[in-house]
Amino acid sequence: MSARTEDTTRAEPIFRGEPGVWWRLAPALLIVIPLFVVAVGLAVLQSVGIFGVTGSSDPSLAAYRSLLGSAEFWRSLSFSAYLATVATTLSLIIGVAAALTFRRFFSRSRVWSFLLQMNLAIPHLVGALAMLLVLGQSGLLSRGATAVGLTHGTSGFPAFVFDSRGLAIIAEYVWKEAPFFAVVALAILGTVATDYDSVAATLGAGRPQRFRYVTLPLLLPALVPAAVVVFAFSFGTFEVPLLLGGSFPEALPVLAYRRFVNVDLAARPEAMAAGVIIIIVGLAAAVAYQRLARRLEGRR
Amino acid sequence: MLVVVVLVAAACSTGPIADADIPDPSNWDEVVARARGQTVNLFMWGGSSQINRFVDTVYAPLLEDDFDITLNRVPVADTVDAINTILAELQGGRGRGGSVDLVWVNGENFLTLRQADALLTDWATSIPNARLVDWDSPEVNQDFGLAVNGAESPWGSAQFQFVYDGARTTVEELPHSYVELRNWVEAHPGRFTYPAPPDFHGTRFIKQAFYEVTGGVESWLLGFDETAYDAAAVELWSYLTGIEPFLWRGGTTYPQSLAELNRLFANGEVDFTFTQLPAGIGANIASGVLPATAKPFVFDTGSIGDSHYLAIPNNAAHPHGAMVVANLVLDPELQAAKFDPANGWGDGLAISLSRLEATEQSSIAKVTAGLSDLAVPPDRLQATRLPEVSAEYTIALERDWDFYVRQN
Amino acid sequence: MSARSGATARRRLRLQRLGGASLLTLWAVPVAVLVLFSVAHAYFYPQLVPDWSARAWRLLLERRSAVWSALAVSVRIGVAVVAIALAVSIPAGRALGRSKFRGKPLVRLALISPLLAPPMAVGMGLDLVFIRLRLAGGYWGVVLAHLIPAIPYAVLIMAGVFANFDPGGEDQARTLGATRRAVFRYVTFPAIAPGLAVAGLLVLLVSWSQYVLTLLIGGGQVVTLPILLFSTFSGGDTTMASALSLFYVAPVLVLLAVGARSTARLAPSQLVQP
Repeated sequence: MSARTEDTTRAEPIFRGEPGVWWRLAPALLIVIPLFVVAVGLAVLQSVGIFGVTGSSDPSLAAYRSLLGSAEFWRSLSFSAYLATVATTLSLIIGVAAALTFRRFFSRSRVWSFLLQMNLAIPHLVGALAMLLVLGQSGLLSRGATAVGLTHGTSGFPAFVFDSRGLAIIAEYVWKEAPFFAVVALAILGTVATDYDSVAATLGAGRPQRFRYVTLPLLLPALVPAAVVVFAFSFGTFEVPLLLGGSFPEALPVLAYRRFVNVDLAARPEAMAAGVIIIIVGLAAAVAYQRLARRLEGRR
Repeated sequence: MLVVVVLVAAACSTGPIADADIPDPSNWDEVVARARGQTVNLFMWGGSSQINRFVDTVYAPLLEDDFDITLNRVPVADTVDAINTILAELQGGRGRGGSVDLVWVNGENFLTLRQADALLTDWATSIPNARLVDWDSPEVNQDFGLAVNGAESPWGSAQFQFVYDGARTTVEELPHSYVELRNWVEAHPGRFTYPAPPDFHGTRFIKQAFYEVTGGVESWLLGFDETAYDAAAVELWSYLTGIEPFLWRGGTTYPQSLAELNRLFANGEVDFTFTQLPAGIGANIASGVLPATAKPFVFDTGSIGDSHYLAIPNNAAHPHGAMVVANLVLDPELQAAKFDPANGWGDGLAISLSRLEATEQSSIAKVTAGLSDLAVPPDRLQATRLPEVSAEYTIALERDWDFYVRQN
Repeated sequence: MSARSGATARRRLRLQRLGGASLLTLWAVPVAVLVLFSVAHAYFYPQLVPDWSARAWRLLLERRSAVWSALAVSVRIGVAVVAIALAVSIPAGRALGRSKFRGKPLVRLALISPLLAPPMAVGMGLDLVFIRLRLAGGYWGVVLAHLIPAIPYAVLIMAGVFANFDPGGEDQARTLGATRRAVFRYVTFPAIAPGLAVAGLLVLLVSWSQYVLTLLIGGGQVVTLPILLFSTFSGGDTTMASALSLFYVAPVLVLLAVGARSTARLAPSQLVQP
């Protein structure tokens, strides 16, 4: 929320006969909350064996025991966490750098502006396909490298796709999320930040100092929550690791999905258990987002 | 606000119209009459745009024009999704009026449906075009070793073949058995791989290896023997883990589907891929998926061939229409069209040439004559055909491959 | 500043500008690659210049192509999701953006959670109840599923819009005797319209891009453009998949180009969807 809300000391006037706050919130909340609660609830229930596709049984933590006891699960969990962390960090850095450069040189051009924001409209599925065609061992980069004699044959080109380090996955995330951070940063740079920046410049501060002591503190309240959001999305995204990931380790959402569509319907509770764990990470991110947003706002 | 309420109210729509009785194929005119005006929901694997296109442009217009049936092709990512829908609706008490009228199925999915008693039975042998099908042959009346009992009607047939690139590999260098394949792989590290089971082709690849390393398919033909399997499968895992270091990417990753393997093959990352189409790879070459110099072949030790089918769930909303569709696809002209790679598919026949009149045979003969070396000759396919075994072996093999090979 | 340091500074500036331009252009390369592949036939390694062919586009755009019904489904679902999300987000956004009330942080958390809980997991849980309610495999089931991330997103954006909204105009109209409806129609709505349009665009994007939710709830039967795209890609026809990807992103890119300037006017906290 912007600073303006806190300045509005005047409470919202309740006109006579006008419904109160909760009536206003009701339609939205009544659609979303029940759906979400039911979804999470059913995932939990199915993970303990109730409401399976083949009928209910007594609740048991068997699915969790088998899941948490398998090395495969822990590999997937850490793999997903690693992907999300690296992707978020890289996107943040590149996005902010892009925003600063953009603001300095390109902010008036509609074309550059569109180019910067273009990826926000491109779904991950398309991004993954594009990355495959660019970064694959038989992709365009590889063909270019062969043409200029840098590499020889498809196996001479480094493996970015289907590999155990998930490099193409990270590349896709960065490709999509850096513009997101850039747009978030630009929105701030376009407001109060410029004024403070000019003041600092006239006081003799150099560019790096201005960035560190003026710009960055102003960006953080929006960037940190945004980073939490990007982390949660990267952790839980399914399409990209499915398309670009290798057989092992699999990202956690892919692991969950494979158990979900397994012919052996007994794997379903494990799929749900993995899903519940993914939801927990998402909820933790939501709480973190809430806390961080408020705390960082308050500091100003 | 009113808009929202109306929209939400509209959300509580009614389900499909329920149908009262089970169609009787011996009274075919009645079936066709009842089918008029129906919409048949055909649930089939939607992963091949060419097969999809074939169904949309060949069957659908015919059904509309001649039978007043609207064919609604419902693509599913995996047949298991259709199975789950059928089972869930049956479980939820939706006795009639199910979403699935006709499902493309075979193997372990058929087993699951039979075990759940979810299919209409005894109809497939009584429809008019059933006379063209060789129901005496175990290739038709057994699906993965399970008796069909007229619960599904064949649509076509398939046989596993390897594909090589004539521009890269000479005929002399080709392996003709899994033993020779191991030698080839060791001599050409990084140039071979196979799709990870439970992909259909990957599973079939390892199953054939299983037959060969355990001394033949004969030991496995009589139902699922867990002890024998556990003892013998060791050989298979030793073979597969043995060749693993020599595979593409050192076996650290496997392509997830045949499509990916095709991509690797076409781009020169590996030297072999697979196909299932008895009419060969003409369609794939025409669509630019495989290079023009690609050719199919089979091992001397044989490859698995079987039929694939259409089944009608017993809670189908439009069983009459479904039966008409299942009957239509067996028509000789349409089977020839499906067999012809020029139409984008090249799937094998479900009907038997010996049961056709001379006039009915001509279209098929024309296609066969035009196949060239883009297909393995039909008699060679016939001679090397191996049967499928009980679906429980498939489940066991897929599960154990995941443990012994993928995770190590 | 001496003339020489001025020249160095200018050159550094030029280099930085060039670097920035290169980065931006580089970022667009993957899309260009899709265009390239969509008009190529049998385009395999190590070929750089493809054999041109319009086959993919021809098949994609033919009358009986599956793409038209997929487009229709994506649009129908998108429009329903946007209509419902915007309708409920106006009052909710107002309450969240302007009022102080007890439980406000809880409400915000309740709205952010569905946004951050990955659709994959949510879809798996919802699947079963939708099957029971006969919503699975159906259009409305998918719409409801899309609303789970869409409504919170719309509400949070509208909350930001209302936070910057000056109710002075409304007060004036009221004192002049206008009815509540007239106030909304002639004062409130025009003021929030730009924000509403942007919210609508972003919500459409949420629905348009949904793959997992549509797959799990729709069971593969509700074929939206992303479902068709994934299925085409899995089928191995890279050329067709590339053409379809472009067909798929073209409408939203056009909308983005049209609405690009408005997006920049929003405060950052409102842009929650990466």
